[in-house]
Amino acid sequence: MVATNTLIAVGIDGIAYGMFLALLGVGITLVFGLGEVLNLAIGMFAILGTLMAHYLSTAVGLGSVPAFILGVGLVGVLGVAVDRTLLSLVYRSDGEERILLGIFVTLGLSILLEGTLTNFFPSRYSLSLGLPRVNVIGITIPGSSLLVIAVSAVVLVALFAFLRGTFLGKAARTVFQDEVGALLIGVDPRRIRAIVFVLATIVAGIAGVVYGTSATLGVTSGFQFTIFALIVSIVGGIRSIEGTAIAGILLGIVATYANFFIGAYLASIILFMTAVIILLVRPVVGE
Amino acid sequence: MTSLPLPRTERTWTGVMAVVLALAPLFVLESTTYLRLYNQFLIFALLAIGLNIAFGHTDQLFLFMGALAGGAAYVMAVLSQDVLGISPWLLIPVGMAASGVLGALVSWVSAKRNLGVILISILTLNLQLALTEAYVGLRSITGGSTGYSFGGLGLDSIGSMLGVNRFAVLSYLLILFVVLAQLVYVRLIAGKYGLAFEAIREDDLAAASIGIDVVRYKTVAGFLAAALIGLGGIMMAEFQGTVLPGDYGFAAIDVMVLIMLIVGGIRTTFGPVVGAAVVFAIEELLSPVGQWETAIFGALLIVLFLYFREGMMPVLSDAIDRLRDGNEPPSAGTSDGHP
Repeated sequence: MVATNTLIAVGIDGIAYGMFLALLGVGITLVFGLGEVLNLAIGMFAILGTLMAHYLSTAVGLGSVPAFILGVGLVGVLGVAVDRTLLSLVYRSDGEERILLGIFVTLGLSILLEGTLTNFFPSRYSLSLGLPRVNVIGITIPGSSLLVIAVSAVVLVALFAFLRGTFLGKAARTVFQDEVGALLIGVDPRRIRAIVFVLATIVAGIAGVVYGTSATLGVTSGFQFTIFALIVSIVGGIRSIEGTAIAGILLGIVATYANFFIGAYLASIILFMTAVIILLVRPVVGE
Repeated sequence: MTSLPLPRTERTWTGVMAVVLALAPLFVLESTTYLRLYNQFLIFALLAIGLNIAFGHTDQLFLFMGALAGGAAYVMAVLSQDVLGISPWLLIPVGMAASGVLGALVSWVSAKRNLGVILISILTLNLQLALTEAYVGLRSITGGSTGYSFGGLGLDSIGSMLGVNRFAVLSYLLILFVVLAQLVYVRLIAGKYGLAFEAIREDDLAAASIGIDVVRYKTVAGFLAAALIGLGGIMMAEFQGTVLPGDYGFAAIDVMVLIMLIVGGIRTTFGPVVGAAVVFAIEELLSPVGQWETAIFGALLIVLFLYFREGMMPVLSDAIDRLRDGNEPPSAGTSDGHP
């Protein structure tokens, strides 16, 4: 029998992983909700954050905090560039065609980024801050997991506050619900889409940097993150931000426990089959 | 509504394609490298023809082609070598049926649940990932990630009789399968199935209201597509001499086949074959740049999808039409303008 302490420690690792996935999933959900573009490059944006932060802190020699912030900033710059160029072209079409074009263009972008980054970062990297293990009432928890949870929680709360509290956030939710209505009251959907896409890439960058402090990541992790984020986003209901966040955390916990108890292969199979079942039994609310 | 292909012209063009395909390997009989490349092109052409039926004509974006192809290969090889001990030739239809039934099941459930293109793609992507893990994890049956060694269909003995290597023989076997698949496709799309697919694609509710059984048509499309994809997977096993989970992954199969179909021209008869040829040619041209190949491929993809969405086929058929119109003005009534 596994000790309760270990169970709790594994659970906390699971929550950390889940919150990382939630950040990526929310990014997919927001962008899809606003412009029907399913961003299949989101995992690569996260990995780019990890790798940039690693490069800036080791090769350039910046301190951890400036390296992390600058790394996230670079991801944001790429986000702006992608929005101005590729997505502008995608938004020209509409309906089903835009959905498919969005999938293919972001898939191409993901492959382009993967192919480029592999040449410069061929190995696996960690942003370990050397945080000590924290001992809470006899349970040893890696400090980095707590950092992931804390930062992710702050980012998620800030994101919700942005959407609920600010004018921009409210405008975004208006576009979410009714694009024509938003136009009628003077909200420019294209501008909102641009802001939210860049926001989503920055959130992905933060997720990549923060998760990089507790895990060792390589370029190939990017596509895997995209797939998990996609599952989280779709299972949580592609138009529901809260649902996505909850689905992400649940998926992280289930994945980590399953991994711990029954090994990676069976755990993955159970995970993917669970997603299949949820997709099939949940009520169909449009798409 | 797009014009449906006319079966007679399409069959004529399939004949032309068969001749071109059959002549091409004669120039590279000595080069194993090119023959291997040619085999791969034909295998992917088969897979793309399958995807054209599922995704092109019935909007079912199958992202578990790798799993279907691998499943058929495992069923064929394991049943032949470990379970029944009979010739793998007899088990090719069994492997195809296995993946066909899985495809039909997914289509049936998706159609019943009225899932749209995005949900089907995510559903099948999850199935793909689960099945790939299973292929690797069921080590006692599949040999795990190091692969399951497949003794082959005995093409090398035919080859040594003819004095060529087995990849040359495999080329002609594959050409036979591609041509047969094309004929099945033309028959399907030019007949009542094609009409029904088109009606469902335009408006499934309207189609159902005039008595088209949407679920049944989508299920049939799913079965045929998956069976063809299974055949592609079995041929991949024959090509490699082993069933390797890595050969049947999402990036290795699904991404490539999707690109080929779009590049060639979705919902066109020859788009899948042309697309497969073009993508392999691009890959081959890019191989000198070595480590940048993937990156350039990704960039190329973006450009192709943004500016070349209709694919090669419309461009090609326009060119052919112009050539023909220049030579002999078509008499009214027999003109089809759709090679």
